[in-house]
Amino acid sequence: MIQPASGAVSPTLRQPVLPRLLRLAPWVLAFCLPLVVDANASGNFAYYLVWAFAAVGLAAMWGQGGILSFGQTAFFGLSGYTYGIVTLNLGDGWLSSWSGLIIGLVVSAGGAALLGYMIFYGKIKGVFIGIVTLSVTLVLETFMAQTAGPQWVIGEARLNGYNGMTGMPPLTLPWFGGPVTLENTSFYYLVLVLLAVVYAFTRRLLDSPFGLALVAIRENPQRAEMLGIDIRRHQLLIFVLGCTLGGLSGALYTIWGSYITPSAMGLTSAAMPVIWVATAGRKSIGAAIIGTAVLVWLSQWLAIYGSEYALILMGAVLLFVVLAAPEGLLPFVSDRARWVFTRRPSKSRSFETQKRSES
Amino acid sequence: MTALSTLYSVIYQFGDNFAYLVLAALGLAVIFGMMGVINLAHGEFIMCGAYVTIICAKRGIPLPIAMLLGAVAAACAGVVIERLVIRHLYDRLFDSVVATWAISLIVQQTMLLVAGPSMEGISTPFGSFVFGEYSFSTYRAVLPIIALCVLGALYWLFFRSNYGVCARATIQNANMAQCLGLRTDHLYTLTFALGAGLAGLTGALYAPTMTAVPTMGTNFIVQAFVSVVVGGANVIAGTTPAAAILAVIQTALTASYGQLIGQIGLLLTVIMVIRLMPQGLGNLFNRTR
Amino acid sequence: MLPDMSRWLRIAVTAGLTCSSIAALAADPIKLGLLEDASGNFALATIPKIHATELAVDEINAKGGIMGRPIKLIAYDTQSDNTKFQELSRRLIQTDKADVIFGGFSSASREAIRPIMDRAHQLYWYNNQYEGGVCDSNVFVTGAVPEQQFSTLIPWMMQKYGKKVYTIAADYNFGQISAEWVRNIVKANGGTMVGEEFIPLSVSQFGQTIQNIQKAKPDFVMTLLVGANQASYYEQQASAHLNLPMGSSVNVGQAYEHKRFKAPALKDMFVTANYVEEVDSPASNDFKKRFHAKYPNEPYINQEAANAYDAVYLYKAAVEKAKSTDQTAVRKALEAGNICTDGPSGKVCIDPKSHHLSHTIYLVHVKEDHSVEIPKVWDNVQPYWLDQVGCNLPLKPDHRQYTPSSLPSKS
Repeated sequence: MIQPASGAVSPTLRQPVLPRLLRLAPWVLAFCLPLVVDANASGNFAYYLVWAFAAVGLAAMWGQGGILSFGQTAFFGLSGYTYGIVTLNLGDGWLSSWSGLIIGLVVSAGGAALLGYMIFYGKIKGVFIGIVTLSVTLVLETFMAQTAGPQWVIGEARLNGYNGMTGMPPLTLPWFGGPVTLENTSFYYLVLVLLAVVYAFTRRLLDSPFGLALVAIRENPQRAEMLGIDIRRHQLLIFVLGCTLGGLSGALYTIWGSYITPSAMGLTSAAMPVIWVATAGRKSIGAAIIGTAVLVWLSQWLAIYGSEYALILMGAVLLFVVLAAPEGLLPFVSDRARWVFTRRPSKSRSFETQKRSES
Repeated sequence: MTALSTLYSVIYQFGDNFAYLVLAALGLAVIFGMMGVINLAHGEFIMCGAYVTIICAKRGIPLPIAMLLGAVAAACAGVVIERLVIRHLYDRLFDSVVATWAISLIVQQTMLLVAGPSMEGISTPFGSFVFGEYSFSTYRAVLPIIALCVLGALYWLFFRSNYGVCARATIQNANMAQCLGLRTDHLYTLTFALGAGLAGLTGALYAPTMTAVPTMGTNFIVQAFVSVVVGGANVIAGTTPAAAILAVIQTALTASYGQLIGQIGLLLTVIMVIRLMPQGLGNLFNRTR
Repeated sequence: MLPDMSRWLRIAVTAGLTCSSIAALAADPIKLGLLEDASGNFALATIPKIHATELAVDEINAKGGIMGRPIKLIAYDTQSDNTKFQELSRRLIQTDKADVIFGGFSSASREAIRPIMDRAHQLYWYNNQYEGGVCDSNVFVTGAVPEQQFSTLIPWMMQKYGKKVYTIAADYNFGQISAEWVRNIVKANGGTMVGEEFIPLSVSQFGQTIQNIQKAKPDFVMTLLVGANQASYYEQQASAHLNLPMGSSVNVGQAYEHKRFKAPALKDMFVTANYVEEVDSPASNDFKKRFHAKYPNEPYINQEAANAYDAVYLYKAAVEKAKSTDQTAVRKALEAGNICTDGPSGKVCIDPKSHHLSHTIYLVHVKEDHSVEIPKVWDNVQPYWLDQVGCNLPLKPDHRQYTPSSLPSKS
């Protein structure tokens, strides 16, 4: 009997217990973290995880769907500004802040749908998608940077150009005895819960027939089309999901720092999600989460302890990883770990059929 | 006379923008268009060429020789990087994003530490000339002509020289070329060095007009990438018309509405051209492949 | 390599001083957090600031510290990246528990961390020139502001060159607000704006702008350009032989363009700055001597270096007056008035109502060979605008930034 790849089989059959526990281990560790570190460190960890949503979105789009988008930061900024505009207009209450978050996500999804429609129904492929998304990001940045004047105001919220929009309230939850502000440890748990939900949802989506169709489209679009799959619809849907996750990162970042600025949509910022996902391993969204958190942590650690050598060391680390670990850092590590524990070679979850040059 | 001088002023602006786009894009067109390597360190090759040119010119070497030295220095840097890093990435070209980004970080920061945040530059040569109510920089009026000469030289290189035939064969079908006896690894190194050298030449040509800081290469990156991608895979027949079209739009918008609209218009034009011609402009000129 | 040597020397000296201070006094250090860009796009202008702060801290520690306590400088490199500013300011507040934080170059970086400073009621000093208007109880500003720089420069230039002015400004908050100030002052002095152009920060090619200026035929050009990209304008306008006098509040004094460009790119550039290296006064020469003794390879000592240096001494004066480092007490001491220091540019004092600094303004003229002369000096120019529009922090605590078109509400 032909053995299908691991993800497609019902999880209760023939899955040894140890790897499943190992897969849950990072989540358990993450949930227990605030018990061992103080509130400020939890807030800092929450900051590392905020960027993971954009990475998950890009990993889903790029690793599974083959769509390299430089536009994650465009939606990052779009959601961030939307959160700011909504909450500065509606006030400080819990309803205002949560609606800001939801409306920010809706705006990102809408924008992604429009952009995706133009890209995929216009038959743009490959590296052109990257350039189009990069251009959109830069247009947004250039435009927003000059909105400093008083005429650039939406309701009560001044866009404030390059200096950025500031003063948004944080998320609050209504509670007996007064609203509870979600910051530091409580914010960390919020982010972690959201991340777990997003991970579970994306994992199921990518393992479902929809996800398999995406792989087929990535490997050979003409064959997929001839088998009756509507390529454009699949690509559009994963693009919308990926970009909305980028928007979620943006809204959470704005909530964390009470601040959003056009330079979050600049050239360097646009390249960062691509760098993180490429280094961490784009075929696995779990790797994207951990890799992104590690790289953001590393960047901060180097800035503190590396002084003027920080960027050189960062570059050296990236270079080493990309040369020594072709699939990405985490698949490299987990392959070695898996080999140590089970003496069996790994089955890749994303159905890589054969090594061939990327196109 | 005023109408004539205004007309010339428009032509001068177009030539200026065209030269900038084409020169920024050429090095990248060779490396990305021909080899598929996404070279985010393109700006650093430009910076290398500019810095070497400035250092040589300040030592007293005549400017044209200094510029050639700048281009050669960048080409040598290209050889080193190709041998050490890029050749491991030919079967996974998307990872060249990370590798070249890392190289760009390392080079920029090292230059900052070694050469300081800024270096005294050199003056633009040739002075200026007056036409009607405007005065123009002679050097910048000549730059488009230099750009066209470089393009002509590249055409000759790719279509009339031995290297050109071998390079095009390797790009088209590396396995077959290797079977026929071509040393593909040498060719890749040479092509990468050519791309790096062209970027260095751009840096050298623009060095007298810009400020010499380690991040000066980032000025060119966006224009380079959009010109290359809009142009498609064909270096001569793709990048040149792409640069021309983008230059026309940018000149017209900047003259009528200012620099902001010019910048935004350039990017929007890129989006529209890609939407209308999803394979890039070069495809229009491709008969057989 | 010399920078490395001086770095080791610095570490050795700091270690020695710290040891001697601790040995002699066994006192708890005062923590001064520093958030500046030692790398990235802005490093050009901020490296002298970092060095000036280190110089001031070393000098104060050598004389026994503040109230017998040594200053511990905790400096992080923010890499010209706003997110690093946010992350590292949190670290300074929560982990390092800094008593005071200095830092920020671009207004965006300041605005990124102001909410964090406000939430933690953290004392924060912004030692850079900017567009003005920050009326914030926790923030003290030692940089120059538009009313100090433009109300001195523009009437002088209009008198010398004529009344037709063309402005080219960077297309973001600082440029737009500065251009607004220029417009208002030109009109108030009976002049006309013959043109105004706003240039996005990423632009480095100015062909069309130069043509527009030639067409408009102004008497002088106000160049409010920011960043290395936009600085290319000077070489390009010189090679096109534009040959017009230029005025600026932000070039030369901050990023020393007259040393980075070959003559005569900055010929006839007039800048009002609160300090430049070329000031020839006893205070300035003494400062330069000490600075170059510690940093012999510094390319230029800019006005922000003087601001940062003065800020450390002003903080010292405030702590000594409050007799404590408790941030509320220090703030109250600063707001009580009369906190001054004698720095490289002379005597400067904190204005209690707006938390900004009075300045000596030097009119800097760059000549054809890029040598500098200072034809005029204005003493004790107050940061009057915020007071005028109603910012009064000792009486009315506040956390906002105002602009000429977004004034505080009258209450």
